[in-house]
Amino acid sequence: MNANRQRRAIVISAVGAVGLTLAGCSGGGGGGGSDIEGDFAGEELTVVAAWSGAEQENFEAVLDEFEAQTGATVRYTSFGDNGPTYIQGQLEGGDPPSVAVIGQPALMQELATNGDIVPLSDEALDVVTENYSQDWIDLATVDGETYGVWFKAANKSTVWYNADLYDEAGATVPEDWDDFLEQLQVITDAGYAGISIGADVGWPLTDWFENAYLRVAGPEKYDQLTNHEIPWTDPSVAETLEVLASLWGSDLVQPGGDQRDFPTSVTEVFGAEPNAATVFEGDFVAGNITADGNSVVGENALFYDFPAINGSAPSVVGGGDVAVAFSDDPAVDALMQFLASPEAAEIWVPNGGLTSPNQGVDPSLYPDDVSRQIAEALTSAETFRFDMSDLTPSAFGGTQGQGFWQEMIRFYQNPTDIQGTMEALEAAAASAYAG
Amino acid sequence: MTSAEALGIVTRKKTLAERILDGLGSTVVNIVLLIVALFWLVPSVGLFLTSLRSAGDNAESGWWTIFTKPAEITIQNYANLLQNPDITGSIWNTIVISVPTTILVVLIGSLAGYAFAWMQFPGRDWLLIVVIVLLAVPIQVAIIPLAQLFGALGIFGSVLGVILFHTAFGLPFAIFLLRNFFTEVPGELIEAARIDGAGEWRIFFRVMLPLAMPAVASLAIFQFLWTWNDMLVALIFTNSESMPLTVAIQSQLRQFGSNIDVLSAGAFLSMIVPLIVFFAFQRYFVQAMLAGSQK
Amino acid sequence: MTAVAAAPPAPAPEHAPERGGWRRFAITAAFLSPALVFLGAFVLYPIVYTVVRSLFDRTGGRFVGFDNYVTMFTNDTTFTAIRNNVIWVIVAPAACTILGLIFAVLIEKLAWKTAFRLIIFMPMAISMLAAGVIFRGLFQENPNLGAVNAAIVAVQGWFSDDANYPGAGPREGTGIVADRGVISTESAVEPGSVQNFPLTGIRQSNLPEEATDAVEVEAGDGEIAGTVFLDVIRGGGGTNGEIEDGKSGLPGIRVDAVAPDGSIAGFATTGAGGEYTITGLDAGQSYTVALPASNFDEGAQGVSWLSASFINAVVILSYIWIWAGFAMVMIASGLSAMDRSLQEAARMDGASEWKVFTKITVPLLTPVLIVVFVTLIINVLKIFDLVYVIPPGASKPAANVIAVEMWTQSFGGGNNQGLGSALAILLLVLVLPSMIMNVRRFRQEKAR
Repeated sequence: MNANRQRRAIVISAVGAVGLTLAGCSGGGGGGGSDIEGDFAGEELTVVAAWSGAEQENFEAVLDEFEAQTGATVRYTSFGDNGPTYIQGQLEGGDPPSVAVIGQPALMQELATNGDIVPLSDEALDVVTENYSQDWIDLATVDGETYGVWFKAANKSTVWYNADLYDEAGATVPEDWDDFLEQLQVITDAGYAGISIGADVGWPLTDWFENAYLRVAGPEKYDQLTNHEIPWTDPSVAETLEVLASLWGSDLVQPGGDQRDFPTSVTEVFGAEPNAATVFEGDFVAGNITADGNSVVGENALFYDFPAINGSAPSVVGGGDVAVAFSDDPAVDALMQFLASPEAAEIWVPNGGLTSPNQGVDPSLYPDDVSRQIAEALTSAETFRFDMSDLTPSAFGGTQGQGFWQEMIRFYQNPTDIQGTMEALEAAAASAYAG
Repeated sequence: MTSAEALGIVTRKKTLAERILDGLGSTVVNIVLLIVALFWLVPSVGLFLTSLRSAGDNAESGWWTIFTKPAEITIQNYANLLQNPDITGSIWNTIVISVPTTILVVLIGSLAGYAFAWMQFPGRDWLLIVVIVLLAVPIQVAIIPLAQLFGALGIFGSVLGVILFHTAFGLPFAIFLLRNFFTEVPGELIEAARIDGAGEWRIFFRVMLPLAMPAVASLAIFQFLWTWNDMLVALIFTNSESMPLTVAIQSQLRQFGSNIDVLSAGAFLSMIVPLIVFFAFQRYFVQAMLAGSQK
Repeated sequence: MTAVAAAPPAPAPEHAPERGGWRRFAITAAFLSPALVFLGAFVLYPIVYTVVRSLFDRTGGRFVGFDNYVTMFTNDTTFTAIRNNVIWVIVAPAACTILGLIFAVLIEKLAWKTAFRLIIFMPMAISMLAAGVIFRGLFQENPNLGAVNAAIVAVQGWFSDDANYPGAGPREGTGIVADRGVISTESAVEPGSVQNFPLTGIRQSNLPEEATDAVEVEAGDGEIAGTVFLDVIRGGGGTNGEIEDGKSGLPGIRVDAVAPDGSIAGFATTGAGGEYTITGLDAGQSYTVALPASNFDEGAQGVSWLSASFINAVVILSYIWIWAGFAMVMIASGLSAMDRSLQEAARMDGASEWKVFTKITVPLLTPVLIVVFVTLIINVLKIFDLVYVIPPGASKPAANVIAVEMWTQSFGGGNNQGLGSALAILLLVLVLPSMIMNVRRFRQEKAR
């Protein structure tokens, strides 16, 4: 039995590398597709991710295609909010999933260093190299080995606005930060809050910071700060905090932000009775807007890029979910190859809610202009950086109630205390990076 | 003839004033309790009404506005949950976890409680104190060591593992409670039974348990409830086949969206069975009340 | 009968049964061992594991002795957590037990007692997560969403009039300023001149029906006149501060002419086009023209219950809401197991209800009360779910308790299980004082 499977595995790899198809593997659009052939009938794989509801349905459709092609059974479970805890628990119990799709590269690094996940096989790596830009490949690499396949990406430099309110007030899409503040003033004069912020948990504030920092200090310093090569008391950090304070300390922001959670801030702008006209966050805001049902993305729910600061070049801070494998079983490897192919992404893309970093995906498949715009902004950004808080150790950048998230909440409540905030951030970072 | 009269004790008849006060007293009590009950209900009613509105409506206005806009009422939240096979399947899992746990806790806890109350052995009181101190152990502490242990035993991810976990953590309270109830049983009854030649088992089953029925009933209710509502242990110790309702609901939560529709409907769906259990068991208080006075 | 009821009975008689000691041992073991096995394997073993783990560093590889404990005690967050736990222990168990006792006793004679029991018990059937969500929602500061603040605002609304244009402010650079809610002219105005008030911050949809486009006026002698208008054109455009087409007047605003000594020399209310005229003014005087704050007052918005100052009260309240039901059920079961003849006898003797309650019922209930009270104390020391769910991010530090701190350290990304384990041990140690009460009680029992 084992020998049989091994033989098949060799056949598969050979076939895949040469690009021949055997029994009618459906090719998606675009080149670089992987041909996953072979019979994995009877194999049971488990996949876990944070997706539920509509996203779950779409991802399960992707997995169904893999099942159809290979005969394996794939079971998907959503871990909701508790990814790291769940995975750790499963590892302790000796029962990890076959593949996990996680949102924090820092977690991937930890798993790789501990030897819990396996690097990509050569075939899978080929598929990845063909379809992804170097930036993304680097993000999936730990200590020289590539572990991950980026399945889903998020553009976190989108500022969403209610076009109806903008029109009523006579506000326009701003060119840069100063213009941004001016337009928000126009909105405020018209009786609506300029912008709504959901600072409750803290992570939206970190996204504000990262976008501002990238524009104020540039990509090299961004990397240095991410790796804690420069301290959080660096003057560039102070400058960024000042820029943020110019907005957060003003009356352009809807009051009550520190107790408002992120979904509510979206409803404040796009619900049935909007109280504010703008909300900043990533492209997943579109999902919230559609679920809410009162505004329509593409009609009165539009976005513009995060404004330039001091003449910065167009930059995108992005996020994403990366798939990693816990075993080098051939069936698991085949699944990883499948996920890296444009074909897999193209099953979900037309249904909306997926921005794929896979360059092989045909852009015309996106369901509307807005999602296409977002995807293109992501794949063609001049300066692209991954969300800093997901790259730093989780104790600093990924935890409710402490570190980056908590200090930004404190700063939001008290935007004049730049020095104190910097020192607190540096203290938290120092202890997190040291551990 | 009351026993008091038979003994020649003269009982005072209550004056009119006292009788009025009595009557007023109970009316006042009634009113006060009514107000308390109404306030107590507000949060639950609020959650229920929230579950009858869509997520969008809930984000716009508070649940009390439903009275002015009855058109908003929808059972879509419940439909969404009940149409999900993960959720409906998990209900059975939850029963399979909660019922055996409750039975085990009651059984093992009462045996041990009896031993601590009526049996002599060296170090009994100190052992009892240790058991009660174990009440303080938070379950988070046990997650990693027991995950490793169960993994080694091969039961990680199965329903059995969860049952063992919950049973163990339910025992300290069970032993504490039942031991205290058992000590209240008059020693003469046990003496009498022993003289009649009954062995420990008989005494336990025929004398102790029936007398402690109210305590046993309360214990059963709460143990069932706590096991039914647990999420943390189940999240880690079950997999997608064995997951109970709490974990199934939890997996429906969206990362970035508002979740109040899932949470509120889920909470009420989840509450039905425990409330049925409460109803079924609480009459034991009444029954026992009548039985207890006939000792 | 009094002797039996008042004193806990002595344990099994000293003259041990004639059966062999081995047999007795076997029976005792049979009764005890299932429990001991479970507890030993699944509860005690993790504690030992935790103690050992707390002596190692974050990854578990390096032995660090008491370092974790030192870190723990020099940490600010730990002290806040301990302080909060102490507050919890003082307030919550007592409140729950007393309420439970009152309910259990009072409802005995109630006709609708099952319904009442159900209502009080229901919160226990709701998972802690859902309960947390409920209370978070109830106490939200936004009066549109949070029931408590909505009630407060509604009540306040009965007693005061709503402002016409809440939140409106002056257009900058047009000579009018806002000070503590009052919009007034920067410099004094002489009678016979026109003083306009271009305002911002009012939505088109909030304009009253009778409002028309802003109307320009002239002022005669001894009058100050002008227009209060919304300095915003739908769709944008226009010049700031100027009365133009598309700018609506603001009717119903009270305008005061304030003399230099602070007294109000005259006032007027704006008409449909926002125009007003204040007459009867002294030509020689200059006046400050002001729009009183009552025009724009946004009114009370309720209390920020979830802010750091009140958050502990809110969370503790939610706990009491849930666990008073527990106390009630436990005490009710104690009541039902109680022999009623004593109370009957006392009543026959003419004792009042209160005396019956305090001298007979409560002492008889002592075992149950102890179980409830101690269980609640220990439960409260472990409190996690509610404190994790209810406070918004900004208040989390203020509401922190040991169990949450432990979770954050162990599982919250830091994965510092060494420190988390140390915190768990701290929690166990804190339980000991409440054990002293139990130890004393056992000694009392033995003494009898």
